[in-house]
Amino acid sequence: MKKISINLNGETRVVHVEPEETLLSVLRNKLGITSPKCGCDRGDCGACAVLLNGRSVRSCLVLAMETDSQKIVTVEGISQNGLTQVQNAMLDMNAFQCGYCAPGIIISATELLENNSNPNLEEIKEALSGNLCRCSGYLPILEAVKESVKEDSHE
Amino acid sequence: MAILNDFEYKKPKELDVALSLLSSHHEKAKILAGGTDLVVYLKEDILQPKLIIDIKGLSDLNKIEISDDYITIGAGVTFTDIIESKNIKEKLPILYQASESVASIGIRNRATVVGNICSAVPSLDSAPALLVYDSYVLTQNKSSKRSISIHDWFTGPKKTTLKPDELVLGIKIPVIKHTGVYEKLGRYKGEDLAQAGIGIMVYDTNKYRIAHCAVGPIPKRMKKLEDFLNGKEISNEVVTKAKKIITEEIFPISDIRSSAEYRSHMMKVMFERGLKKSIARAKGGKS
Amino acid sequence: MNDLKYVGKPSVRIDGKEKISGATKYTEDIEYGPNLHYAAIVESTEAHAKIVNIDTSEAEKVSGVVGIYTGKDFPFKFGLYMKDRFIFAMDTVNYVGQQIAAVVARDEKTAQKAAKLVKVKYEPLPAIFDQMEAFKDDATIIHPNLGNYEHVPWFFPQANTNIAHWRKTRRGDVKKGFDDADFILEDNYSVPRYSHCPLENHAAVGLCDLSDRLTIWASSQSPHTQRNLFAESLAPLGFSHKDIRVIAPPIGGGFGGKAGVSMEILAAALATKVKGKPIKILWSREQEFYNTSQRQGLLAKIKIGAKKDGTFTAIDHRLYWDTGASAEYGANVVNAVGLSAIGPYRFKNISIDSVCLYTNLPPCGAYRGFGYSEFMFGLESHINRIANELNIDPVEIRKKNAIRENDTLAYGVAMNPNGLLECIDKVAEKIKWKEKHKTKDINTKVGKGFSLIWKAPAMPPNASSAAFLKFSEDGSINILVSGMDMGQGYLTVMAQIAAEILKVPLSKIRTENPDTDRNPYEWQTVASHVTWSCGNAVRKAAINARNQIFDVVSRTLYLSKDMLYLEDEKVKCKTKKNFELPLKDFVINGIQAEDSTFKGGPIMGHGLFMPEYTSANSDPETSQGGHPNVHYTVGAAAISLEVDKDTGEIHIEKAVEAIDVGKAINPSLVNGQITGGLLQGLATVLYEDMRFDDKGKMLNPNFTDYKIPTAKDVPDEIVPIIVEVPQPDGPFGARGVGEHTMIPAAPMIANAVDDALGIRIKSMPITKEKIALTYLKKEK
Repeated sequence: MKKISINLNGETRVVHVEPEETLLSVLRNKLGITSPKCGCDRGDCGACAVLLNGRSVRSCLVLAMETDSQKIVTVEGISQNGLTQVQNAMLDMNAFQCGYCAPGIIISATELLENNSNPNLEEIKEALSGNLCRCSGYLPILEAVKESVKEDSHE
Repeated sequence: MAILNDFEYKKPKELDVALSLLSSHHEKAKILAGGTDLVVYLKEDILQPKLIIDIKGLSDLNKIEISDDYITIGAGVTFTDIIESKNIKEKLPILYQASESVASIGIRNRATVVGNICSAVPSLDSAPALLVYDSYVLTQNKSSKRSISIHDWFTGPKKTTLKPDELVLGIKIPVIKHTGVYEKLGRYKGEDLAQAGIGIMVYDTNKYRIAHCAVGPIPKRMKKLEDFLNGKEISNEVVTKAKKIITEEIFPISDIRSSAEYRSHMMKVMFERGLKKSIARAKGGKS
Repeated sequence: MNDLKYVGKPSVRIDGKEKISGATKYTEDIEYGPNLHYAAIVESTEAHAKIVNIDTSEAEKVSGVVGIYTGKDFPFKFGLYMKDRFIFAMDTVNYVGQQIAAVVARDEKTAQKAAKLVKVKYEPLPAIFDQMEAFKDDATIIHPNLGNYEHVPWFFPQANTNIAHWRKTRRGDVKKGFDDADFILEDNYSVPRYSHCPLENHAAVGLCDLSDRLTIWASSQSPHTQRNLFAESLAPLGFSHKDIRVIAPPIGGGFGGKAGVSMEILAAALATKVKGKPIKILWSREQEFYNTSQRQGLLAKIKIGAKKDGTFTAIDHRLYWDTGASAEYGANVVNAVGLSAIGPYRFKNISIDSVCLYTNLPPCGAYRGFGYSEFMFGLESHINRIANELNIDPVEIRKKNAIRENDTLAYGVAMNPNGLLECIDKVAEKIKWKEKHKTKDINTKVGKGFSLIWKAPAMPPNASSAAFLKFSEDGSINILVSGMDMGQGYLTVMAQIAAEILKVPLSKIRTENPDTDRNPYEWQTVASHVTWSCGNAVRKAAINARNQIFDVVSRTLYLSKDMLYLEDEKVKCKTKKNFELPLKDFVINGIQAEDSTFKGGPIMGHGLFMPEYTSANSDPETSQGGHPNVHYTVGAAAISLEVDKDTGEIHIEKAVEAIDVGKAINPSLVNGQITGGLLQGLATVLYEDMRFDDKGKMLNPNFTDYKIPTAKDVPDEIVPIIVEVPQPDGPFGARGVGEHTMIPAAPMIANAVDDALGIRIKSMPITKEKIALTYLKKEK
């Protein structure tokens, strides 16, 4: 058991972890962060995505110890001062159905929009293609990301 | 799925420390860079190391070094780093394209090129590019360094010539002027493991280097095909003859991902289309 | 109904914000406290074998193990329509992955480690992996006690065979029908097994406290049905329905896979052994594939006769289903298809045999479409081929034979009002059916495909829904129902129905997923029936509440009830223009009368719905005489694609789907069903396929090799079209739509590939590999 310190959603959190614990498991079981989900446990589905130092990663494939002194952002952090523009577009357009994949997709969309304020459809598809969704048929989600960018350009 | 095996985790800041740990643990130690393969193996209990050595603390390995003649990619360099490097996009377009075809962003943000060749699965996307570039794998143990030709690197499915006490420092790639493509067969447009892959490099006047992945036990250069093509201007007749040679140089299997018949068929289709694309690019470059 | 304010509007889902902010707590996200225990399951490695011995001695020695349980601890059968399953395997195992034992421990790692130490000794028996093998006279019998199984009266299992059910439907004179035909086409079509793949795996937590109060939290489509099955199965332990409580948090997708009972019963059973400790069971993605339920495989033999002008004269449709090791749910899929395998067509001469066969593969059950996607692949492929042979346009032949209102269905009941022809015309127009578009790429060919849509809810004749509706002090409303919102937007639709009747905005209505202790009965959220059935219950509950409101206003303020109406959260009066009484002023605290006393009290509406005209009783040889289905939802769809003749890769430019939903309570959510369902259907035909080795072990229980589409694998455009021919007994005219959206996908791809390349593929999936290799052979 080792004590690690992470910057989680802007707050310093200290937690004791074993070497074999994944970041996903520590977030969910020791830090009360449940938006990242365990959909496949092998990096295929993207439901466990979080931002690690600004980059989206599969938290099921990261050992918690690797994140000592690193910065982690989850959808709880993204939403803490109200929904972002892309989240609002997703809400208004009923982009999600069961919502289980939503946190992962919001992480991917957030990463995309941080690096590219006006992505085209191909770039949006590329950014979201690591997140599986079984309900939506993706088109409403892609549409919502596009829509949020459009609003941006009007400002 | 909990990881059932108990192990220690260390993240050395000095190369010497990492090499000492390797030398004292041998097979019992595993190197962790991106973890996108390793952590899956741990969960599935395929590997039971006693020690995990995280090399992300070795800052020297996280670099892409550029000189006039070589590009060296450190062991900590991720596929995202490769895709974001202007130099690699310009000077190593086949590797750039292969990197873009690997999994998805969330994986590419962590997975490394070196990790890819160390996993050495037959389908590894970066292999055809590294093979046509005549790259070298740079390794080091406590006492010595090696520079291993990529052609000698792969020894079998999931097997390489790396010794248990050696650490891969990086991959050294000679830079020559060329165009080329990496063509990959997947089951759909989304992320997939290559069911067949071919890297095609066109350089000088009518010189060609071609390598495959996922259609044999190890990724390999296609020498017979190259010998046939070298010096020839590409015509439909040349392509038709060349496609016959492909069959002699690949050993595709049938598995749940694809049948040998389709892999074989697609290698010919991808070869023809990839070659034409490469030549079009070469001509486009001249004008 | 012209001035609807809430119904028919594309409102934002009422649970949208919680899902988008990451706040939704699915079963696994809930805190169960520091006393939480975990169970790991020991699974069969054999497809068919006698269990000789289970040695738990090594596992018992592991520190932290609380208990190890096997079949002998729970010798109880369960099953939805037929009791043919045990909680753990008893003396035989019937498929690879079947649960044999469970290890309960303080933490997940200990449980899993110990489970690996349980040793099971088997004596292998001959195994069957193909339903046609199972159908043979000399086949190994998988369920020797089939003759003694308890089952619903509309199943006809045949003892000493592998036939779990055989639905026969006969009407007219089939022989004469074929004699009258100018052209007869007969062929076989095959469909493999498929997996639902909700992003959330099955999860269940059971807690039996020291007073024998049993609570189960489960990711479920069927909380009340689960409670019923748990109570039936665990009755020998002294539990009755009132002791058992199922709490169903929001679920991360269902698609039929979380209907009925599968692994949840393990949580219920194990909790009774480890009292006072919550026990969590989480299925891994692998287990989600091989040990929940799957969509049945099908071999369909179709024979259709037609006149030169395209008029159909007879159909002989024989369907052989691979239901796996248990038929408790799958046999009802077989039954549903046996009643409906004529498709949305006018057939006077009908013979259908739908046969449910046990095999030694994992059990199958409900999957979005409930058998219709499977048989419509063959039927709609077959009809296209007949059209081509007779030189008739595929759309025209469909229109010519399309079923119309009051036509007689296969089981002798009249067809409900429907907009099938309108759907066909609108789809043909939108896809520009007669135009052949061009492709710039010399490697590709273009094609278009068409298919109709057809499905009825498959329900017991007495399946019902109930609703409570209660007001709070500020005039806001809580609706209590027991359907599940698995993403389709059910909670929002129920709120819209109540909003419309009570004239209260959606922002003041909360509807949540159920707890069987608190919420009234709902059969299951399956069959695309909750908008219709529970919608009726909510509508009645709202009307009931409105009557209570008018009643108290009328008797305290002396206004004629008939003159009262609701508007903007107020009671108003037609004859007294200035009168308005805000709901919030009295819905809890009543109205103060002239004598300063208070009248009325909390307004609480209730409503229920059961279709009182249905009956499952009919002649077992012909299926005539009953009224098994409530109504059919119909529609049409078409696709325009480019296919690369060398690689076989398909690029879908446009897909159009029109469905007659009766009334779209929320058009945005209907469009969501069309887009999502269509892609799920396209995935089954283009990419997905469950593969098993020759020992019955699944080869691709993960998303690495069971490929569900990504954001890159979508059609360029999906055009949803809503047609509204009201359902007479639907709330505001609505009927179901959820499952139907995926049904046309497979045949329209097959038809479009044929149109483009001139190759007819009769087995799903139609992968790029299959297309390329079939075309290659044709060209040779």
